[in-house]
Amino acid sequence: MTNCRSHNPLKPFPATIIKVIDETPDVKTFQMVFDNPEVMENFKQKPGQVAQISVFGVGEATISITSSPTRKGLLEFSVKKVGMLTSALHRLEPGCKVGIRGPYGNHFPYEKMKGKDLLFIGGGIGLAPLRALIDFVLAEENRKDYGNIEIIYGARSVDDLCFKYDILERWPQMPGTKVYTTIDRAEQGWEGHVGFVPAYLEEINPTPKNKYAITCGPPIMIKFVLQALEKMGFSDDQVITTLEMKMKCGIGKCGRCNIGSKYVCLDGPVFYLSQLKQLPPEF
Amino acid sequence: MKVQENLRDIARKLLVNKEATLVIGYAPGSEVSRVIPAFIRKEEEVDHLIWNPLCVNNLAKYLLDYNQEPGKVAVVVKGCDSRAIVRLIQDNQIPREKIIILGIPCPGLLDPETVASRLNPNTQILSASLNEQAFSIQTEEGIFTFSRNESLLEKCRSCEHHTPVIADFMLGEEIPPANRVDPFEKVKKLEDLPVKDRSDYWDKQFQRCLRCYACRNVCPACTCRECVFDQAEPCWIAKANNLSENTAFHLIRAFHVAGRCVDCGECDRVCPVNIPLTLLNRKILKDIKDLFNVPTPGTNLNELPPLGSFTNSDPDEFM
Amino acid sequence: MNAYIITRDNLRTWIDALIRDYTLVAPVREEEKVSLFKPVGSFTEIDLNYTNSTISPKGWLFPQTEEMFFFFTSDNQVNLEDACKPGTTILFGLRPCDVKGIIALDPVFNGTYQDCYYQMRRQNTILVCLCCTRVERHCFCNSMGGGPTNGEGADLLLTEMENGYGIEVLTSRGEELVNKYHQLFAVDGDNRVSKTRDEMGKKLASQFSRKVDISGIKEFLDQHFELPYWNELAQRCLGCGICTFICPTCHCFDIFDQSPDGESGVRSRCWDSCMFSHFTRMAGGHNPRPTKKERIRNRFLHKLKYHRDRYNLDGCVGCGRCINKCPVNIDIRQIIADLQEVARYDQLPLS
Repeated sequence: MTNCRSHNPLKPFPATIIKVIDETPDVKTFQMVFDNPEVMENFKQKPGQVAQISVFGVGEATISITSSPTRKGLLEFSVKKVGMLTSALHRLEPGCKVGIRGPYGNHFPYEKMKGKDLLFIGGGIGLAPLRALIDFVLAEENRKDYGNIEIIYGARSVDDLCFKYDILERWPQMPGTKVYTTIDRAEQGWEGHVGFVPAYLEEINPTPKNKYAITCGPPIMIKFVLQALEKMGFSDDQVITTLEMKMKCGIGKCGRCNIGSKYVCLDGPVFYLSQLKQLPPEF
Repeated sequence: MKVQENLRDIARKLLVNKEATLVIGYAPGSEVSRVIPAFIRKEEEVDHLIWNPLCVNNLAKYLLDYNQEPGKVAVVVKGCDSRAIVRLIQDNQIPREKIIILGIPCPGLLDPETVASRLNPNTQILSASLNEQAFSIQTEEGIFTFSRNESLLEKCRSCEHHTPVIADFMLGEEIPPANRVDPFEKVKKLEDLPVKDRSDYWDKQFQRCLRCYACRNVCPACTCRECVFDQAEPCWIAKANNLSENTAFHLIRAFHVAGRCVDCGECDRVCPVNIPLTLLNRKILKDIKDLFNVPTPGTNLNELPPLGSFTNSDPDEFM
Repeated sequence: MNAYIITRDNLRTWIDALIRDYTLVAPVREEEKVSLFKPVGSFTEIDLNYTNSTISPKGWLFPQTEEMFFFFTSDNQVNLEDACKPGTTILFGLRPCDVKGIIALDPVFNGTYQDCYYQMRRQNTILVCLCCTRVERHCFCNSMGGGPTNGEGADLLLTEMENGYGIEVLTSRGEELVNKYHQLFAVDGDNRVSKTRDEMGKKLASQFSRKVDISGIKEFLDQHFELPYWNELAQRCLGCGICTFICPTCHCFDIFDQSPDGESGVRSRCWDSCMFSHFTRMAGGHNPRPTKKERIRNRFLHKLKYHRDRYNLDGCVGCGRCINKCPVNIDIRQIIADLQEVARYDQLPLS
């Protein structure tokens, strides 16, 4: 297109689904690769950023990138089936064509987090954006930069736990990493913790000292997690969350994802609690 | 201004005696030619309520916003608006016992544009009256008369019910039916045109539709919890604004309100690009009247709408 | 920059010549009460005596529905093809407030992410502004930093004069439009054009029906998000999209695909409205702006605060369209006045 100084940001790059992993009855993780290797090479996301996924003929949706940038050569998106686009995506199989544009938004402050302990608190599909950062800090080349890692993760049932391999096998084996998993109600065959995430968090009672807490999950969980963290002495600058908003353009034009004068697609999705408290309660 | 005094007296009484928790009426707007829907809950706010020949909005639909109101809601209606109340009751959208209908026999309204063209927009109307020939508007800047013939609102020329068809309090003297312009005059003219011309006519109108959905949102017959035009799946009409989708929108809308459109004219009034929606709705109204020999929907609380009921004598030549 | 004078006859010749060489979009009286910007085929179709067009001319830079690209998918590949691009367009006879509206839209579609569709049209569009000769009762451009004879942002500025039009050249692109047909123009040697324009500006300044005081409004809104006032407004709001669709600065849009066979199709965008309930409703049902109150507040904060926060420009140019067309008389001038009252008394005094 002439007269446009840069690549048309609203035009996605063709990509192919190479693998589909069933996480839960309604969550699938898609591994995708750009059809043009150069695009793949130049797609430099940071943990916490999102992308627009196209299913041509259906539309687009904003999905957080769940794979760490340290994992080269592919992108992973974990998608819960809730609407039209995500349902269409769930019908796709390896080999199917999609479109991806991005990466968009800000990212977790991984530079500032260096030298700190990290506490991740996730619920349900809310672990997806956190996973990008978890794997980033756990990557061999970065691990030395960060302190201890605690991960508290919960879902409604065993079936609803996403990334089972990561939470039950891979991450617990990593040095300096503890994973606490819980489900809402007791189930046969589950010997782990039972209870809601905020309650489990209070039970574990992590110290706020030299630590960042990063949380994502259903709004009701976040609400009580934030209360619990405050009780434990975490300051608003130590608590970070990532927001989900309806987005269309992803580039600050379509006017949909604003909270006050901030656009979640440009100025978010990652916010310190101290920043969130400055914003109108429209999220 | 006897009606206005009655209105304030009754509104005050209803609120003071807690017979109603809310009165929906009219208050002065931001300029002399406009009024605003007013939502009065306090006794001391009752004197905001006004009645004058610029009170054009049909307030009936606001009742839907107050389904959960603990007390009763009183609402001001003109003759045309009152049919909407009947429709909403018939559709079980509002329980009869939860509303108090303040009926105003309305001799006809003034075209706001005509008023705006002559009056200082920042003046206030002190009183208004109407005789056979003219509206008389008294403002802070003097008395202005408007010939009835020239400045009567278009929709009022074919008014069917000056007096509300339903009311708990009638705030003025009943106004008997008067000679009126045939409401179907324009429909008949259009019907007489060849198909091509009719099609061209509507193409030109629908072409400029913005799909702002004001006609739907204001319509007292549009009460679906989720409108088909808002549904993403199935997608009945695309979001694209073009003649084809716009036409689909208008035809679906018109058929959706067929037999329930009370001919209040609000869709026509609110359309920002002046699409003659009354003409479209009246075409269907005329066909329904021709087919079923029924009064305008909303005229009679006890008469079920023709498309919502079945009798053995219903025409069935299409079967 | 230079100024010229053109006679009425020559204006006609000039416009007809422009129509031959460019796409010329100008105000046309569509119906008795509907005035629209449309491409015209001859001078006679144009209505230069119009006041604000019913819909703002922003659609010529940001169409209500715009095809972005076509897609063709098959088993092993996707091809995307750009929709066709427009040639040079002249937006002729824009009123000053609408030029200001375009200036307000520019930074939205600019920035880190260039909106190619808007940019492409904007770069290929020449803005010819026409000074107002009267003030409508809803106009308040003079309160929003503009004025009926202030053509800032246009390429050419036309002023109606006794026997023709004065033309002030504001950019080199504008100059080209004159130079190409220079034989039609007389050079304005003694500043008659700017004098006439100044006089007209002074005359019109007294014709505004309402002076609106926006001083301190943004600062007040910075501090006050929750106000009972928004509930009052929301009560009567119909939740339709009139105000946003006719507004020269509203820019919200939706993106959607159409594909008859599921394999090939087109991705388009179209105007959307923050007044619609589903605008922010997420697939799971959560809606950050669930009622009319949040939505109407968002619209007015967008006009009076957010646009300034982001782009340091007012989000309202005072064209008065929304005032004229709102079915329930939601009047931004009144809102500003009411907010001043609220700021002063901490609440609206009972009138």
